[in-house]
Amino acid sequence: MLRRKRWRFAMLAILPTLAIFAWVRIYPIAETLRLSVHKWDILSKNKPFIGLANFRELFSDRLFIEALTNTAIIAFGVLLITIPLSLVLAALIHHRARSRLAGFYETAIFIPHVVSLVPAAMAWKWIFDAKLGPLNNLLGWFGVAPKAWLFDPVLAVVCVIVLCSWQALGYAVLIYLVGFKSLPVSLYEAAKLDGATGPQSFRLISVPMLKPITLYVSVVTLVSGFNVYAQAFVLASDAQGAPGRQVRVLVLDMLENSFRNYRVGYAASEAVVLLLIVLLLTLMQFSFLREKGGRT
Amino acid sequence: MAAVEIQNVSKAFGKTEIIRQVSVDVPDGAFVVLVGPSGCGKSTLLRMIAGLEDIDSGVIRIGGRAINDVEPKNRDIAMVFQNYALYPHLSIAENMGFSLRLAGRSKAEIMERVAETARILGLSQYLARYPRQLSGGQRQRVAMGRAIVRNPQVFLFDEPLSNLDAKLRVQMRAELKELHARLKTTTVYVTHDQIEAMTLADRIVVMRDGVVEQVGAPLELYDRPANTFVASFIGSPAMNFLEGSLSRENGAAVFVSAGGTRFPVTAGDAAKAGDVAVTYGIRPEHLVLAPDGEGTEAEIAALEPTGSETHVVARTGGDRLMAVLRERITARAGDTLSLSPSPGAGHLFETASGRRIGA
Repeated sequence: MLRRKRWRFAMLAILPTLAIFAWVRIYPIAETLRLSVHKWDILSKNKPFIGLANFRELFSDRLFIEALTNTAIIAFGVLLITIPLSLVLAALIHHRARSRLAGFYETAIFIPHVVSLVPAAMAWKWIFDAKLGPLNNLLGWFGVAPKAWLFDPVLAVVCVIVLCSWQALGYAVLIYLVGFKSLPVSLYEAAKLDGATGPQSFRLISVPMLKPITLYVSVVTLVSGFNVYAQAFVLASDAQGAPGRQVRVLVLDMLENSFRNYRVGYAASEAVVLLLIVLLLTLMQFSFLREKGGRT
Repeated sequence: MAAVEIQNVSKAFGKTEIIRQVSVDVPDGAFVVLVGPSGCGKSTLLRMIAGLEDIDSGVIRIGGRAINDVEPKNRDIAMVFQNYALYPHLSIAENMGFSLRLAGRSKAEIMERVAETARILGLSQYLARYPRQLSGGQRQRVAMGRAIVRNPQVFLFDEPLSNLDAKLRVQMRAELKELHARLKTTTVYVTHDQIEAMTLADRIVVMRDGVVEQVGAPLELYDRPANTFVASFIGSPAMNFLEGSLSRENGAAVFVSAGGTRFPVTAGDAAKAGDVAVTYGIRPEHLVLAPDGEGTEAEIAALEPTGSETHVVARTGGDRLMAVLRERITARAGDTLSLSPSPGAGHLFETASGRRIGA
């Protein structure tokens, strides 16, 4: 009797939170799934069920394929830059933890993660600018010919990757730093006595011991990489009135289909594909890193 | 194997002096135990030998070679840590072979040496496991194996048994001693446990506040402690101390405590003491039951029978004495019994300095 009463109280206590969660999280996902098999133009009342027609159309849609390819390149590019770089940076900062500048190092790397995206992206747009940008200026000193960073279809993608990595790095380094601080000092001392150099300790002790952290950081980085939008929008989209060619990414494509082409059902099917890809990649990362990391 | 010489070594962390002008000789093949209360600097000294802490001043030599500026890996030492410091992501075999792998030895040689060490330590069937799959005692053995496999000149142990339960500690203590008898490698061992020090060491170095209080063989420290600190630290239960002065009664030298307790003193000790204030020390196991009227009458405050012996806490005058008696006692708290020191078992110390007086 008592147990049932307590259970009822507990349910009532978490109900408001659950209700909000269902409303802002579960309902939109369910609604997206529902819309993806319907045809809807935002305005009309009837939304005819069309089965998997949206999905069939997706895979012959040149723009969608382009967006998917760009997004995947950006997401994996960011992952490949962020993970090793943040691991090394965190190791260096951790190594200098007693330095008077330790706080400065941490803050300097974390700031990009907290600054407002659009102004930061505007600054990068200036850096990448073909005529006025300091990047071409800098490269000029080494005899490299100026490049049209944001106009070249390949370089524009690279620019988006650089911007996204610059942002993702701060968070990844912060999480790795926490990981480094949790590793017992005696392991490094034992390794030192066993004859390990600093880089060997990093490779043979830190990297394998931090696998659970790497798993978490890589999942978060990859998921946010697949959701790239604002960075591409500011740096390389015609909406900003600049570069001749835009870097089309999935979220941008969805927005266009929803609110410019009024094909909400079609955009929803894109969202479902994105969701499936992210889920699949997360599962793969878990099984890949858990297999070895699970021993620790 | 090699001797370790520590000469006038000092170390400070900021303004706090941890080690002050310490000199210790560890002869080739000896088992030397550094013992002292926590914070006495014994672990820091060990870490300085290992190269994990810098030496502010003084010299440490291993095998005659000054190692102040030698990298830890080039000192030819191996260390066993208190928490074992096993690599959790490596198997037992990989843990033990880690140093050989870093030294670039061939896989076949690593496997052979790991297998041989595992056989000595009884770890052969665990080589494929991971540290978390082993018990505390087994992990301890792996940590020792990791040290042995390198065949170093010196073993360093930093409180290696303190994470084990009492029974396992006794067993591992015996294994350590056996291992040292077999390998005869010079060993420096740090502990705060005086029983461990007494049972394992060829020589004990007692430290307090960064200073060496006494160096000697275990029984030498027990029989002739250099001061009240060593006297109280070595031996369990700890030595009784009574403050008072010496006088002569019926032609014989007698110690009279502030509380009025009287114990006989040898003429030689009394002559050396002169007329300074003295502290009389007597170990609980050196107090024996005396026939009524011959010893010191004491009231029993508490009795602690352990089976093999009885610990008696007794009050006499204003003094409190602990006695360990071999006999079974039928008396109860509140009763009186008569205690006297075994002949020649008393120790005299200068009260002001705590230094030992006489032989």
